[in-house]
Amino acid sequence: MTVLLAFDLLLAASIVGLAAATLLMRDAFAMIVAFIVFGMLLALGWARLVAPDVALAEVAIGAGLSGALLLRTLAHLRGGGLSAQGGASVSAPTNGATQGINALLAGLATCALGLAYLGAPQNVPGLEAHVTDAMPESGVTHPVTAVLLNFRAYDTLMEVVVLLAAVIVVWQVERGLAETPAPALGTVYQGFARVALPVAVIAGGYLLWIGAEAPGGAFQAGAVLGAVAVLGLLSRHVRPAPAHRPLARGTFVAGTAIFALVALGVSGAGRETFEYPPAHAKTLILLIEAMVTVSIAATLAALFHGREPVTVATGKETT
Amino acid sequence: MTDVMPDPLTLAILLPLFGAIAAFLLPRAAPAIGLGAVVATAAAIAVLGHLVVQAGTIFVPLGGWGAPLGIELRADGLALAMLGLTALIALGVGLGALAAFAGETEVGGQPMARQRAFFWPLCLLLLTGMNGVYLSNDLFNLYVMLEVISLAAVGLAVLGGTVAALRAGLAYMYASLLGALMMLLGVGFVYLQTGRLDLAGLAGAPDSAALSAAFGLMLVGLALKTALFPLHFWLPEAHANATAPASALLSALVVKAGLYILLRLAEAGPFPGEAILTLMGVLGTGAVLWGGVQALRAERLKLLVAWSTVAQMGLIFVALARAGLEGLSDSWRAAALLILAHAVAKAGMFLAAGRIKDVIGHDRISELDRSAVRPALAQLAFALAAISLIGLPPSLGFIGKWSLMEGAMMAGNWHWVAVTMAGTLLSVAYFTRALTGFLRFDRVRAPLDEHRGWALADAPPVVLAGLAVGLGLAAGPILAVLDLGTPFGAIP
Repeated sequence: MTVLLAFDLLLAASIVGLAAATLLMRDAFAMIVAFIVFGMLLALGWARLVAPDVALAEVAIGAGLSGALLLRTLAHLRGGGLSAQGGASVSAPTNGATQGINALLAGLATCALGLAYLGAPQNVPGLEAHVTDAMPESGVTHPVTAVLLNFRAYDTLMEVVVLLAAVIVVWQVERGLAETPAPALGTVYQGFARVALPVAVIAGGYLLWIGAEAPGGAFQAGAVLGAVAVLGLLSRHVRPAPAHRPLARGTFVAGTAIFALVALGVSGAGRETFEYPPAHAKTLILLIEAMVTVSIAATLAALFHGREPVTVATGKETT
Repeated sequence: MTDVMPDPLTLAILLPLFGAIAAFLLPRAAPAIGLGAVVATAAAIAVLGHLVVQAGTIFVPLGGWGAPLGIELRADGLALAMLGLTALIALGVGLGALAAFAGETEVGGQPMARQRAFFWPLCLLLLTGMNGVYLSNDLFNLYVMLEVISLAAVGLAVLGGTVAALRAGLAYMYASLLGALMMLLGVGFVYLQTGRLDLAGLAGAPDSAALSAAFGLMLVGLALKTALFPLHFWLPEAHANATAPASALLSALVVKAGLYILLRLAEAGPFPGEAILTLMGVLGTGAVLWGGVQALRAERLKLLVAWSTVAQMGLIFVALARAGLEGLSDSWRAAALLILAHAVAKAGMFLAAGRIKDVIGHDRISELDRSAVRPALAQLAFALAAISLIGLPPSLGFIGKWSLMEGAMMAGNWHWVAVTMAGTLLSVAYFTRALTGFLRFDRVRAPLDEHRGWALADAPPVVLAGLAVGLGLAAGPILAVLDLGTPFGAIP
């Protein structure tokens, strides 16, 4: 027990220390690396809190893909001519008054957080009992999946809509800048990609399938498959071109569209929207999860690419 | 609820979503799809209105689970009024967008074809989020809906693609994300203390310092999203630099989502703690004064209109603060009326300002009177909207301000009356700056090019601004709709 306690204390101290280090660093690259490590440790923390679903999501999206997005942005800033210095160091705001006000407001928010946490009554029963009671009718055996895809499916649909909105916004901003010079990946990476890609695809499929009964599901599987697509982009196996646009648009919306259509489709004859017939609940949930996984993977890869595909040869806007 | 058709509540949320998907898939047909989706949504809202008039409040347990396990949608008079108004504004702004995106591309901006194609998916996603907020009865769901709204709103803010718009849009996104995070933290702590997420769970929550702190976090998050002084820093640039239809949607609708949620929270269970209410009142007063002063100093017309949004939001916070712990229903009603009035008038005003800018070629206030071209109808629309925002009778704005002041005077809250009066005087002053520019002919040096014919683009701002004034005459029916299902408690 003491070993675990010591581990937890060390973990908590590392998380806070890394968060502080991330904020205090001046070099952007080091900052991003520290942030990725922070995400990893945070995932470990979630695992220690017996929240493996959150841990998986954190490590895949919070640390993995966010890190990739940040590094990509940094490469863009260094290579795209937007920043004068090559080092891309982070400059702190110099205005003392602004800093003072920010510190005050952040301090107040922290006080409120502390008050809300310390003053909260202990052991208020949450919705666990309700979830346990309704599990047999949910069509799946993993409570998190039951909540996400059945009890609170409406929220999940809207989360998927948020991702769709994000990719639409990213595609919309087109400033006609030249394509960022691709990071040169050597033959070692090409070989790595050849080995890693099939394994990652299988891992993603497994996460999706197992989500019905154990930690996993659409978001985690989508993140893993998204990483596959990112590797494909980096190794230049995938080259986005204007001709891909209709297909890409279709893939982005597929998850949202199928989810919403199923939700409406099951209604009527005394059933509410989102009320799956119990006999078909598992099939419908898996169908929705599969489509959402594909959409999430495509969306994350598109966010990594960072723009609507344009003709690479000229690097100019063509539409 | 019904046997064959999906219920109109879900349809009011999902129809714009399907429209957004279709408009994104078929960029060339986006305007037609978009307008079609708005009309279809309006039809669903009409059906919903019929049901609400008959039954009062309607609940739809999504998935058949029911609260607190599942999510329930709720429609009552307040939700219905907001839904109807939002559909009306979306239709008006949509028609305005047809004309606005046919114009010339601003220097350094995105090609018009791209703006036209991307406006509709974003506008419809915004409509999905707004309708979702109006019908929501669940704290976490409200947070998710706010996220949908924020992303669509950021997209709309940067639609023009100019450097200024992108910069302002980025600041807006940071502010919005921070606000969402605060809201989420607050929701988490409320769940920790009450064990449920539906709004009904708030009613029985024991009043404690911890709950006040959780509410404080939510309030700060919503204040950031609603641009309550001094968290308004992102609004003027973001709203002023967006293209006109986007500005109209941002100013008329997006900032209202936070206010609507506050109104719902206040109504579900009185705000815990006097301190929060006092703070809201003080900051609202600050917004009325600071927004007014900045609008007086603004050099560009759209910036003036954006600053007036900051001031007007402050007034609505004052109305919420005056409702107090016990929840004065007349003050809530005043807040709801002010939300409706500001939405219609500001949509019309931003469309008019955009039209003036398009026709004259710039929107510098000091040079408005030197233009040889006079966009008469747009100027008329601007003036009508200003009448409603100032609060002159018989406009809807007048009814809202009057019910606020009447309640405050009866109760002897003279400080709130003074704030309202100060805000009114400031708004007269800053709108007059623009209106004198419209009226004075004597500085024209170029040959007058008085009338270039009226374009379809003039119709939406004139109609919306006309409604902002004219709806005041229909204040009785509007109040009757608001009270369906008694969202504000029994009528005294």
